[in-house]
Amino acid sequence: MDTAISLNKVTHTYQANTPFAQNAIDNVTLQISKGSFTTIIGHTGSGKSTLVQHINALLKPTEGHLEVLGRVIDPNTTNKNLKAFRKHVGMVFQFPEKQLFEETVLKDIMFGPKNYGVNDGEAKKSAFNAMELVGLDKALADKSPFDLSGGQMRRVAIAGVLAMNPEILILDEPTAGLDPRGHQEIMDLARYLNKNKQMTIVLITHQMDDVIDYATNVIVMDKGKVVKVGSPAQVFSDPKWVYGMQLDLPSSAEFAQQLKKAGVNIGQLPLTIDALADRIVRLVGKGDTK
Amino acid sequence: MSNFIFGRYLPGHSWIHQMSPQSKLLLSFYFVIIIFFANNLISYGILSILILIVILLSGISIMYFLKGIRPLIWLIIFTVLLQILFSSGGRVLWHFGPFSVTNESLINGGFIFMRFLLIIMISTVLTLTTTPLAIADGVQTILKPLKKVKFPVDTLALMLSIALRFVPTLMDEMETIMNAQRARGVDFGSGSLKHRVKAAVPLLVPLFTGAINHAENLSTAMEARGFSDSEHRTKYRQYRWQVKDTISWLFFLAIGAVVIFIRK
Amino acid sequence: MKDIVQVDKISYNYPDQPLLFDQLSLDVHEGEWLAIIGQNGSGKSTLARLIDGLIVLNEGHITVDGLQVNDQNIYNVRSKIGIVFQNPEDQFVGATVEDDVAFGLENQLFDRSKMHDIVEESLKSVGMWDFRERIPANLSGGQKQRVAIAGIIALSPKIIILDEATSMLDPRGRKEILELVQRLKNENHLTVISITHDIDEAAGADRVVILNHGEIIDENTPRGIFSHPDKLRQIGLDAPYTSKLLAALSKRGVSDEKSYMNDEELIAWIQQLVSTK
Repeated sequence: MDTAISLNKVTHTYQANTPFAQNAIDNVTLQISKGSFTTIIGHTGSGKSTLVQHINALLKPTEGHLEVLGRVIDPNTTNKNLKAFRKHVGMVFQFPEKQLFEETVLKDIMFGPKNYGVNDGEAKKSAFNAMELVGLDKALADKSPFDLSGGQMRRVAIAGVLAMNPEILILDEPTAGLDPRGHQEIMDLARYLNKNKQMTIVLITHQMDDVIDYATNVIVMDKGKVVKVGSPAQVFSDPKWVYGMQLDLPSSAEFAQQLKKAGVNIGQLPLTIDALADRIVRLVGKGDTK
Repeated sequence: MSNFIFGRYLPGHSWIHQMSPQSKLLLSFYFVIIIFFANNLISYGILSILILIVILLSGISIMYFLKGIRPLIWLIIFTVLLQILFSSGGRVLWHFGPFSVTNESLINGGFIFMRFLLIIMISTVLTLTTTPLAIADGVQTILKPLKKVKFPVDTLALMLSIALRFVPTLMDEMETIMNAQRARGVDFGSGSLKHRVKAAVPLLVPLFTGAINHAENLSTAMEARGFSDSEHRTKYRQYRWQVKDTISWLFFLAIGAVVIFIRK
Repeated sequence: MKDIVQVDKISYNYPDQPLLFDQLSLDVHEGEWLAIIGQNGSGKSTLARLIDGLIVLNEGHITVDGLQVNDQNIYNVRSKIGIVFQNPEDQFVGATVEDDVAFGLENQLFDRSKMHDIVEESLKSVGMWDFRERIPANLSGGQKQRVAIAGIIALSPKIIILDEATSMLDPRGRKEILELVQRLKNENHLTVISITHDIDEAAGADRVVILNHGEIIDENTPRGIFSHPDKLRQIGLDAPYTSKLLAALSKRGVSDEKSYMNDEELIAWIQQLVSTK
């Protein structure tokens, strides 16, 4: 698979040359493939947000360089060149509804494409497409975004990013504070964009079940360093290590752990409900229960 | 992550840290007045030694104080140059058109520079050794006599303390919103003035909306915690006048007397 | 059992909006943990605000510990209730941890000499004493919520309302806050009303009420509620993990007459199945 994003020994120091200097990410080298659904996990303050902000050049490395869709960014890249770079990388921040500002939903969604030089007609078309993708009713287009519910506002914000037709979409805990239905709808949207629109998805999350249900690749961060990269199965294979990273196991693995403790020989940790159920059925002997 | 250091307060337990905020506030004010009485080399020398002692007593690296000058450096240079080039009197050393440099203007320029330096130093000592909260409390204590004329001193102090408390929150939010709009193709800080003003809208509207939301939620939370009127509350913190304050004042008053005495 | 909160046929609507509650009634028993669940916009948080008198009813009555919620009693009512709100940032009034805990005490005109002991005790009970000089910008969301809880405990209320108090925290912070509230509830004989859409939070409750579009559509023990996972899904909520696993097992022909089990019960049952194979 082609590489969409590659970081080469990237270090970012906040407030370099001051007594408060702090390495937010430290000598990070990694690759993210085109069309992958990659999650970044790690406890609060491990450097996840700093890492993804490099991917669309909101931060420049203080050392090392990165290459995104063939464009290189290093500490000497001038700010003028960043806009072209960002065009292809959409970024949905935590609580993105906070970025809304226009008078109407439609105008807010058109804001991004127009900044990148798309004409009014095209921008409008993209905006309506994006609204459809995130499940916003067309009738809301002329409403003020500030009159909508919290969940709807978040969709407007996400639509505003999607309207730019990015090739890479970064989502920083996009479901924080949503109810279960809202959560699932946003996650399903990410999957749809990945599968049907061939978008490369990079998702920061604290929900290990989402890692299992949606991701193809996992990057684990701790204290500014990448400490593990692999498939969900590889990353969660060692519960002790996972706990040591101050992370949780996915629900099914956690439940299997408890079964193990109770003396049920469950074998290798299952990651999904179906895997766990299959394992139990095999142990019980199918169908011979009351 | 916020790279903003709140009020630039540095925790510590030095003599200066331990002084009561109201006394520090008034003493800084008094010091600034004394600076304007100083008009010769010796008096500036005495004040410089005084501020040096204060800095040493604060136990804070001198680097922080020098950093305090940086944002004002252009203002200082401009004012000092103005003084040097346009003041008259004394022996002319150099002149060109309306500009002239005399020995007196050089000395005056030096004094202006010293005034800036001393004022920046004393206010930096104040903010580095006093939490914003303590400053708010100090203001409250100083303004207490105004309560007699029904001036809402406590409300003012509470508002000030809440405003200060939300500064880092809003700075963080500003950074996030700027990043979010940058990701949507906004260029902050470049282009024509018109372009810059236009770019401020996507930043300011969300920032204000957010601030209003904070304010609404905060007022609900305050009400739920039994808040009704800030003029009728007890106080958790009390900053008592201490021996340290008295000693400092006596010392500063003596220096002040000397500066006025040797005034030319 | 005594009812500590009685909501009696209340009606309420926000200005220029249709009726949210129409003749809603609900009793909260003294000493119970009541979970009110429902999706965003179902009226859960509004109900909490009405109970605390933060917004005013159109019709009906609410009584808290024998006092009717009205203008005269409002400060007495609020002194009996502590609310932990959703956004950790927006309920931190003080400039530091210590000052924030003291805020409620200052409002209730506590003597300064007593305040310091109460602040210390409350901060220690939530494990935040070592952080007393911190400013909010240097605390995590979970830590801020702990401070909020300390501020409530300081006023020794009878009722704690968790208004989506854990929804902005990560799973670990969420778990820690719930364990903390559970411990404080036992130590201080509190009544807890937790407003949530987190099904795991509801699982730990004594009683669950489902609110949908301003109406109570079900009320039962967690076990009773979770026995109908489809119903939960219909109103936009998730089923607890054990229900999902039970469903997956029953699809594979392994089933039990019990329609819901908690973690321990399910483990015991599977253990038994495996050993009697």
